[in-house]
Amino acid sequence: MIALTEERLRGLVAWLAIALLVVPVGGALWLGAAHGESPCILCWAQRTSMVLIALVALFVVRYGPRPRYVGMLVLLGAWGTFMALRHSALHLARDVGQGFSGDMLGAHTYVWAWVIHWVVLLATGALLLLARGPLTATPGLQPGRAGRFAMALLVVIVAANALQAFASTGPPPFIGQADPVRLSLDPRRWVWGGWEELEGRPSLRGAWTIPQPDPFAADPDPAHGPLSDLPQLPVQRWERIAATLDGTLTDLAIAGVAAAGSEDRGRVLAVTDRFGVYVLDATLSRVLHRVKLDPGYSIDLSPLAGAAFLPGDTMVVLSTNKSYVLLTPDSGADPARDWRHFLEADGNVTEVRRSRFATVRARQQYVLALAYDPAADELITISVPSPRHQRLVVSRFDRADFLLSSEFLPRLDPALVPSGPERGLAEYVVTGAAAGDGRLYAISAAYSTLLVIDLQARRVTTAYAVPGLSQPVGLAVRDRELLVAQADGRIAVLARPLQ
Amino acid sequence: MEFLNFLIILWAAWLVWWRPERERLAFALLIVSFVLMALLFLIGTHTSFVPGVNL
Repeated sequence: MIALTEERLRGLVAWLAIALLVVPVGGALWLGAAHGESPCILCWAQRTSMVLIALVALFVVRYGPRPRYVGMLVLLGAWGTFMALRHSALHLARDVGQGFSGDMLGAHTYVWAWVIHWVVLLATGALLLLARGPLTATPGLQPGRAGRFAMALLVVIVAANALQAFASTGPPPFIGQADPVRLSLDPRRWVWGGWEELEGRPSLRGAWTIPQPDPFAADPDPAHGPLSDLPQLPVQRWERIAATLDGTLTDLAIAGVAAAGSEDRGRVLAVTDRFGVYVLDATLSRVLHRVKLDPGYSIDLSPLAGAAFLPGDTMVVLSTNKSYVLLTPDSGADPARDWRHFLEADGNVTEVRRSRFATVRARQQYVLALAYDPAADELITISVPSPRHQRLVVSRFDRADFLLSSEFLPRLDPALVPSGPERGLAEYVVTGAAAGDGRLYAISAAYSTLLVIDLQARRVTTAYAVPGLSQPVGLAVRDRELLVAQADGRIAVLARPLQ
Repeated sequence: MEFLNFLIILWAAWLVWWRPERERLAFALLIVSFVLMALLFLIGTHTSFVPGVNL
């Protein structure tokens, strides 16, 4: 191993400081001078951090490798890595070629800041590893030529940055901006300000602060709902799932695509909050197949919230985080292969696919309902509102590739009157959905209301108050009936509105 | 404030090179500059301190 003497270390650190000042910091200055690029407030912090790292390097060149300089380097490297990660996260997941402002060598400046701060941490560790004995600083040891050049370069680079900062952000108390304008030396073009950055309340995760949905915290009384004077759709009778399920029922679906007379017709798919998936016979009393999904395998599942039958004997179950699992009955299921998917299984079901739905308007929202529209061969989810995102979004996914095919916020039919100026569909918490005849039926646990959405017109055409429901969790179509599943396993049978 | 911060850095650099006996003041200025830089970053990210992604 090559051991570093203090003199060698000082020389090496001087060259590292020169490289840092010339390449990333000098390159950023060049982007400003040649292309008019102005840093945003976050870019300024990362650039300042790199300059401070160069300054610490010059402390080492001047005074020797004192422990507090090493400590400062580690702090700057760690904080700079965090800053660059936080900044890059705004743009990394955008579409190809999209980013914020200019780039160098194919990567944007905030990504380079990430790399550079990470390399600083690596270099600090490597230099400490190579140091001969404890860190010592010899008094009076004069910097070499590289050290003196690094010092002069730092003064020039920092002065240039100060000039750019004056033009771009202004003197105190002005600060950098989120969306700066391009750099100009013409004072008439200078935009000073930045304190609007303080607008908005502090938050740890911002728009990602989304609590798990709790549909039963909402008011179930239809009379308090956002739509006034709704007609009632009374419960005609009650049925009950007699089979024993592990966990609380969270949705059900009825197989309707099998030919009339087939024993498959009328089968019921039920899911529970403990990741139980059950295929029941039409009497709801006998379990034909069952599995308990492993929620942590590869693609994580939050509690199951939706279920639907698809053509080809396939079943799909949905979790609140929009992850989904395709299952199919398979009497020859390989227990060894499926051990990785299921915590428990009866050996007659196999997992075909596990993935996630990606939405646009419903991003950062949970879903509690899934439907399959056989006419369009699409799966449909409906988002539930959160304190951060007050929207009811219907998202449709093509069964060919399970990708988003359309998405909309339903409008209200003119005949439906909100009960107040601030009231709207976003107050409904849809926990069950089913599709048929071009309509999407959606049952809301909030205000116990059934919404009927015309999928072609993207409009809520009618709505009904359904008195007597208690914690509705699912909805299914059975011929001319709608079945509303409740968390307690009871099923309310309603007449299916066909108008 | 970024402009002010670069002036602080220049001051610290000047002390390091031309007034090496003022190392404590120079290092204090380095700390002040670091804190100011961190504060400005936190102002810019106060509506979401951690990256806006799944954690």
